[in-house]
Amino acid sequence: MKLDLDEAKVLPPPGIVNRNSVWLGFCGWITAVLNNSYSRRPALKAGVHRQALFVTVGWVLGYYCTKFENYVYAKLDRDMNEYVQIHPELFPQKEKKTFAEIVEPFHPIR
Amino acid sequence: MPAGRLLLQTSALNKIICRNAFTAKKRDTSKPNMVRVGLTFGSVVFLWGLLFTQHSNDVQEYKKRNGLE
Repeated sequence: MKLDLDEAKVLPPPGIVNRNSVWLGFCGWITAVLNNSYSRRPALKAGVHRQALFVTVGWVLGYYCTKFENYVYAKLDRDMNEYVQIHPELFPQKEKKTFAEIVEPFHPIR
Repeated sequence: MPAGRLLLQTSALNKIICRNAFTAKKRDTSKPNMVRVGLTFGSVVFLWGLLFTQHSNDVQEYKKRNGLE
């Protein structure tokens, strides 16, 4: 797949709080906590500066991950919609029936 | 013959006398290493600043390209 990062700027940018950021930030925090555990320090209370740094690095990486993900999915959607437009005969419109036409008459047996 | 052998300075007194400028010290884990803590928090602030500027630039670029100014 060709990556044209300049055309990606047409897409709306992700918010500061986004799925990948939160997850990677959390992963970074867990890494710092595990590092504390492994170094026989109090897991949550030690090395707060390290925990903050790892969370921040994860958050920033998550932001760029989300941008890239948005771009890839937008490209795929655009290609798919183009294909559907070019070949309308392969995607016939099904005639829509209301429920009244489909449902059989109800004969209660009490 | 290994090439390292050729580089050996086998003169009685080395013409270039060098001393190492560093002394070895054991790490002091009883006190926080304030330089490291300061650098870490500084880089945390720097990275967040980068993130916010990048985000606002992206929003600006998006608005410009879609004519939403």
